[in-house]
Order: sequence, then C-alpha cells, then structure tokens
Amino acid sequence: MIKQLHPVEPEELMAYLDGELSPERNTATVAHLNECAKCQTLVDDSRGVSRAMATWQVDSSVVPDAKISAAIDAWEKEQRVRAEEKKTWLRGRRALRVAFSWKLVPVYSAVLLLLVASIRFIGSNANTAFSQLGDVDLDHAQQVGETKPSASPMAAYRSIPVKPAPGGDGNRDKLGDSVASNMPAAASGIVQKPKDETRFSFSTDGQVVNGSPKQLERLEQFAKLNRPPNAQASSSAPTAASPSGPMIIRSAELSIIAKDFGQVRTRVEQIVAKHRGYIGSLQAGGAAGAGQTLQASLRIPSDQLDGALAEIKTLGRVQSESQNGQEVTAQYVDLQARLSNARNTEQRLIDLLRNRTGKLSDVLEVETELARVRGEVEQMEAERKSLLNQVSFSALNATITEDYQAQLQVVPPSTSTRLINAAVEGYRSMVDGVLRVALFLLSAAPSILLWAGVLFFPARFAWNKFRRAE
Amino acid sequence: MTSDEALMLEFQGGSRAAFEELFARYREPLYGFFRRRLNGPERAEDLTQETFLAVLHASKRYEPRALVRTYLYGIALKLLAAERRKQLRDGPGLDAAPERVVHESRDAALWIRQALAKLGDAEREILMLREYEQLSYAEIAELLHLPINTVRSRLFRARMAMKNHLDPQGPASLIAERTTEELTTLRAKEEAPQ
Repeated sequence: MIKQLHPVEPEELMAYLDGELSPERNTATVAHLNECAKCQTLVDDSRGVSRAMATWQVDSSVVPDAKISAAIDAWEKEQRVRAEEKKTWLRGRRALRVAFSWKLVPVYSAVLLLLVASIRFIGSNANTAFSQLGDVDLDHAQQVGETKPSASPMAAYRSIPVKPAPGGDGNRDKLGDSVASNMPAAASGIVQKPKDETRFSFSTDGQVVNGSPKQLERLEQFAKLNRPPNAQASSSAPTAASPSGPMIIRSAELSIIAKDFGQVRTRVEQIVAKHRGYIGSLQAGGAAGAGQTLQASLRIPSDQLDGALAEIKTLGRVQSESQNGQEVTAQYVDLQARLSNARNTEQRLIDLLRNRTGKLSDVLEVETELARVRGEVEQMEAERKSLLNQVSFSALNATITEDYQAQLQVVPPSTSTRLINAAVEGYRSMVDGVLRVALFLLSAAPSILLWAGVLFFPARFAWNKFRRAE
Repeated sequence: MTSDEALMLEFQGGSRAAFEELFARYREPLYGFFRRRLNGPERAEDLTQETFLAVLHASKRYEPRALVRTYLYGIALKLLAAERRKQLRDGPGLDAAPERVVHESRDAALWIRQALAKLGDAEREILMLREYEQLSYAEIAELLHLPINTVRSRLFRARMAMKNHLDPQGPASLIAERTTEELTTLRAKEEAPQ
C-alpha cells in the first residue's frame, strides 16, 4: 500500500537512515519525508531500533595483548630468517645465472680446448718418448754390432762382449736396414710386434696371390738365411723344423648344408684320416623340429688343406667359405735370432762359472742370471715350436647343417593335455612374475630408498619455497 | 591518518609498527564482534587474538583490492563459524560465564539479546553487522556472499521484526519502563541454559 501511495520504497527509507542512498534518491526521500507522516513514523521506528541496539555495549578493555606481542616477536624472527633465506636463494640464483651466462661461453670453450689440447700433448709426448727409446737401443745395437740386453741388472754382465750368433744377429746385419727395422725387439730386448706382419690371400691351390714382389723376395731371403746348417746341408725339402718358404699360418672356415646328414660324420673322419690330420673338436646336435648341425674344428697339414677342403665340399652345398693366411716369417726369424743369442749367452755364463774365480756373491749373481737366461731360452723354444706347429697344421672350422624338411604333425595333442599344459604354463608364468617383482624390489629398493633419502630434503626445501612464494 | 590498507601493505613489507597500529585499531571492534555472538568472554578474547594471529601468519594472502575491515571480519566470521560448529559438537563450554557488559547497559543488553534471539540466523547476522560493526551494505554483501539487494531487504525485515520484538512503543521507552522484577526474571532465563 505504501508502495502504491508513496514515491519512496520503505527499504529506501531505511537506506536513507544508513546513508546508503544515491544523492538523487536521497533528495527525493528527504522531500517526501517532509510531506508524509507515515513514512516519518517508519523512519523513526528504524532509528529507534538502532538506538535501542546501541545500548548493548561490551567492555572491550579486556583484550590482552601479551600473546599477540609474543606472536609478533616470533613473526619478526621468522621474517628475518626468511629474509636471510631469500638472500641466500637470490645469491645462489645470481651465481647460477652468472655461471650459465652466455657471455661466459667463449671462456668455457677456451678452457675446454686447452684441456683437450693438453691431453693430446701429453699423450703424444709419451708416445714420442717411448718410440725414441726403442730407436736409440736399435741404433746403438746396429752401430756396435752387439746386443745389449737392457733388462739385465748386472753391470759386470753388461760389459761382456756378445758375439754375433751365426743365424741370428749376424744374419740380421747382412740383411741391411730394411730387414733390421723389422726386428727391433731382438736388438733392444723389448718384445715388439713385427711392423710388416702382412696378411696374404690364397687361391684354392694354396699359392700366394697377394703381396708385393719386394716383400716376397725379402721373405725368401729370410727363409734362406734362417735355415739351420744341418737342414741346408741335408736337403732342400721343407721340414717342420726348418721351413724354406714363407711361413704362413693358414685357416679356413666352411659352412655346408648337407642332405644326407647321417653319413656326414663318418665322411669327415675319413677325410681327416686320409689327409693325416686330426679333429680338434667336434660337436653334433640339434633342437627338436629343426635340422641337425655338426661343428668340427679340424687340424689339417698345410699342404693337405686344399685337398681336404675340396673333399669336404663334396658333402653338400657350400653356403659360405673363407680362407685366411697370416705371414709370420719375420716373427719366426726374430724369435730364432733371440733364441740363438740367448743360447750363446747361456754358454758364456757357463764358461764364466767354469773358468773364472771370484767372490761368492759374484758367483751367485752369475748363477741367478744363468737361471734367468735358461728360462728365456725355454720360453722362446716353446714359442718357436708353437709357431711351427701352427704353420704346419692349418685350422679348418667346418659347420655342416642338415637340409631339414619340416613334417606336418598328424596327431595333435589331446584337449586334456593342452589344458594341463596351459595350466602348468600359467602356474610357471605366475611364479615367474612374482619372482621377477620380488627380484626387482630387492634389487631396486636400496637405490630407491637412497635416492628418496637424498632428494627428500631438497624437495621439501623447494616445496616450502614454492608455498612461501604463493 | 594512514589508511588501513596502507598499513596492511606496510605490514606485508615487514613493518611491525604497521601491524601494531592495525591491532590497536581493530582489537576492540573485533572483541565486540565475538563477545556479542558468544557466551563466554574468554572465548571472545581467544578468538580476537586468533584473528590477529591468522592475519600475522597469512599476511601474504591479503590483496589490496579488498578493504582491511572486510578482510578482518571475514576471518572473524570463519573463526566464529568454526567455534559454533565446535560448540554444537561438544556442547556449551563449562567456562561459559554471564556476559560482562557495562553495568549501566546490562539490563538493556539482556533485553536486546532476547529480541535478537527471536530473529532468523541470516537476518540477525546482517542486522548485527550493520548496527554493531557499522559495515556498509556492500561490505555485508561481500562478507556473506549475497547480492546487495538481498542484504538490504533482509536488513529491513530484521529491523521491522526487531521493532516488534522490542516494543510497539519504542525500545528505549520500553527498557526504561520495565520493572526490576521483570528484568531479573529475564536474566535468570538467560543464564539458565549455561
């Protein structure tokens, strides 16, 4: 009713009292209140309620501030700690920013280059020093025409002149520099790999088809000079102890697929026996549902290798074939020279013991040296025999595989068998899975715990930082 | 005089003096806020301090777009709601003591509380925020998350109802004419549940 008769809403009257009216509405309300007694009463009622409520006052002097003061103190302390932390954090960030600044990239690059260059310099210096050491010994040996075992601890022994061995150093001197350069180890006492150890390829008839004429000529010269006197006098036929041609360790690999696998083993044994070889190892077998395989490592006399190879090839279809030859003539000559030299030394030491008298300590010292030289002689002799054996008997590795034809399985397994198999397989996989999980946990748990322990505090620190930053 | 908002920003920057000034300005209003809404004066004191402690520990959360007064009463309302939930769960505390009001207005206070108790929760809260905390309609609307027109209409209804609950002739005159015996009876009723 008031709404219909009065231009001002009752709520506006209340808002007028509370000072919440807009200036325009405020003016209109004041004008209306001057004319309308009812609205004036309503305003008075509202004002009366406010006045009555205002009589309820509370004594607010009871609020203690001791707790707040303590809290402010604690807050201030915390602020100081945070400021310190922030400073540290900012300092760390600044240091990181400086460390990873693009401006420092040239500096880092220069340091890296210096580092690499210094490593290479040190490495090259070490190599040069080592090679110079070998050259000096060799040159000295060539100049004086005598060997000087650098490993010998005896000064007296070093002063003993060494006569050139008939088949050793003497021969080497005759060969000239090009040959002598292949035998630095013989002169210096340092065991080195021969520099011109060359690999040759062979045709199926065993002839050398690669290698320069100069090399071949030199090798022949080596062999001639290296031949022992008794061998030179007796016969020109090659023997195991004194090879006349280049000394070559031959080996061959052969892979064959054979249809008649049942006869293969017998035939292989026959071929080996025919060519006076022997079987190093032999393995035959094969998985169910697949072809059988025979792997044989045969040792065949070198001059019989081609014949044996040809016969083994007749057992089936050749799948792959390869032959290798390693020339060891220089190595053998070098070994012979060192052996001869060591024997001469041994003989001189024996003569020294027989003919000279001296202090007991000198005698003992010569005895010790004699034992060492004898050990060297035996070692070199064994090495020489091994080389000769490798040259005399070539290695032939043959792999013969059955030409297998798979057959259809006519009777499938019964349903119950398949069910049982599936159950067993399922049980196995379950146990296997559990075992794998357990093994993983056992193997990874210590690492996980360690890393968790290591990363816990940094992560908590970062998380606290993140929360404070929020 | 420095505004509340400027003080709050200074406090966020680490100024202890700014916080102490804010505390001095709002300690009494906030204590009154809690005291009029709770029975025990101790709890009112505790909650007043908790309000300032909350400000202390969460100063970074204050955003300058809000008034400090609204911010403080917002915290106080949340603490009050938590306290009421706690009282509902645990029952009234043993330390609930008769209200300590100024002696002269003690009887009037009892009468006002009786009348306020007859109002609905929403209307009572709006009326008290307006009359005692002197908040504007906009501030009340922001605090209670209500539209401003809703605040205005509810406030009007609350005032009209309050007028009826007090006395048709006017609250002040009524209080003056009440007999001592009647007031004693009312006080006994007030204290009975405690």
